[in-house]
Amino acid sequence: MIQLENIEKVYRTDTIQTLALNSISLDVEKGEFLSIMGPSGCGKSTLLNIMGLLDAPSKGGIKIDGQSTTNLNDKQLAAFRNKKLGFIFQSYHLINDLQVLDNVELPLLYRNTTAKERRELATEALEKVGLSNRLKHFPTQLSGGQRQRVAIARAIVGRPEIILADEPTGNLDSAMGNEIMDILLQLNRTEGTTIVMVTHDEHMAKKTHRLVRLFDGSQVQ
Amino acid sequence: MFKHLFKMIWNKKKQNSLLMVEILLSFMVIFGVFSFAINSYNNYAKPMGINYDKVWAISYNHTLETTNADSVTLVYQTLLRNIKALPLVVDAGYASSNIPFSNNHMSTGFKIKGREISNVNNFFMDENYLKVMGAKMVSGRWYNKADMVSKANVVVINETLKEKVFGKGEALGKLLGSDDDKNKRKVIGIIADIKNDGDYQKAAPGLFNAHDTAAYKWMGKILVKVAPEADANFEGKLYKLMSNTFKNSNIEIEHLDNKLTAYNKFTLVPLIILSIVAAFLIINVALGIFGVLWYNINKRKGEIGLRRAIGAPGNAVSAQLVYEALILATLSLVLGAVFAVQFPLLNVFDLPASVYLLALLFAAIFIYTLVLICSLYPGKQAAAIYPAVALHEE
Repeated sequence: MIQLENIEKVYRTDTIQTLALNSISLDVEKGEFLSIMGPSGCGKSTLLNIMGLLDAPSKGGIKIDGQSTTNLNDKQLAAFRNKKLGFIFQSYHLINDLQVLDNVELPLLYRNTTAKERRELATEALEKVGLSNRLKHFPTQLSGGQRQRVAIARAIVGRPEIILADEPTGNLDSAMGNEIMDILLQLNRTEGTTIVMVTHDEHMAKKTHRLVRLFDGSQVQ
Repeated sequence: MFKHLFKMIWNKKKQNSLLMVEILLSFMVIFGVFSFAINSYNNYAKPMGINYDKVWAISYNHTLETTNADSVTLVYQTLLRNIKALPLVVDAGYASSNIPFSNNHMSTGFKIKGREISNVNNFFMDENYLKVMGAKMVSGRWYNKADMVSKANVVVINETLKEKVFGKGEALGKLLGSDDDKNKRKVIGIIADIKNDGDYQKAAPGLFNAHDTAAYKWMGKILVKVAPEADANFEGKLYKLMSNTFKNSNIEIEHLDNKLTAYNKFTLVPLIILSIVAAFLIINVALGIFGVLWYNINKRKGEIGLRRAIGAPGNAVSAQLVYEALILATLSLVLGAVFAVQFPLLNVFDLPASVYLLALLFAAIFIYTLVLICSLYPGKQAAAIYPAVALHEE
């Protein structure tokens, strides 16, 4: 589903050149739940950003669902992200000025959908994460776990084939973390969604199909 | 998308209220400037109604020693004859002090069929006025010497006064004044409007009185139409003639074209002051919009990154910020328009409704243009934000 070939990422300033990722090659199968672990600063999030087409590699290529993304322009990349990918972030990235339902509808705003369709799909996504009773709430009125569930609903509302989760349980206590993990596992099992998750939590990583470890920008497992 | 943006703005109405008030205030000031400017232009576009070129205005004081009325009249008549006899004089006539562009005003009023007509410019010009000033009659006739000595009170009114009193109806032969008024005045002619207060002011209602020769001593002005060759030398001769007639009098000769220039400058002063105030406000609003949007970009980097991540192309993010600014401006303009339409509805400042409506349209276009210009660059900057960087910074 996702093929990374010799990915290298170098950050350059006037005086320093930092190698963030060094020759990473990775295949993520369709329907796989992959976790990426490693110490802070080892390049986990950078790798996830590159997989999610949010950042471009300095070298190497990415294929998603058999399609090379190397030569896509900004508009094509945006459309690709919108249709194929869903994102979950450690800090949720919800828009506090919008109600829960409006937050979940966001990805659909960049598609040709009617307001009615958006509403239906968003409601359905929120039902899946058990928040159908919080549609009119604002994010600030929710707990951390509930916010992350809203973020998951937003990630799945467009029915993407891939979900990229950057430390989705990082800001939550273990009970809440387990709840979120259960939702992700269920999505993977029932919908066949491919999930790549960056985590620091060994316990969470063990629940996934495969674990990839990074150290100093290189793949060690 | 607009509904979504409107919802976001509405939910942030407290944060946006100051900017909205600022846009509203600017709109109102710009609306005022445009109303003033459009009205001035409309007046400017109308004909002056006279040919003031090479018309000189001589001011005099009545300093004749004789008190005998016949002698006084004789002196004035002789003086005018002598002026007219000068080689470079085309025509001349006596006029009251409220000649065009003089900043002197004499007002009168009357009742007609129970209606009070006030603030009518009251002119005392002799039978030569029409020819000296090149004014045009619309209908009827200008008064002549016979009218001036007859006991009947005859007047010529201008088009504005005719419209105000008689509308589309006939005015010639009608009497001005109520039934119990002993000095009712009969309208014998309608003169084309004359912009007495310069290029930028409309002609006010005006009434020209036929007067007798006794009025010469207080009228105070002689209007002289001179030939194009008339120069300072000739002006000197004219001055000498005047000062020989009126010993110890202040004699002043002014050129009407110079008076018009000075008067126009004076009229434009409020517009210039208002424009300066508006310019400061516009700069303030421009900086405000620019600053708020710039601040928004930095404050909303996470949101911008998120939108990019979930499928918004750079230009959609840029457009979003521009649209947000335009929606804010629209909310302010709707409120501003509610205030602005009160001006024609309540007939404030007595300007035509079309002036206010045009000013409203221009002011709205101006505000939209300003907001668009001020939001384009911040919008472009937002589009250039790399999503990974924006999400990381949040």
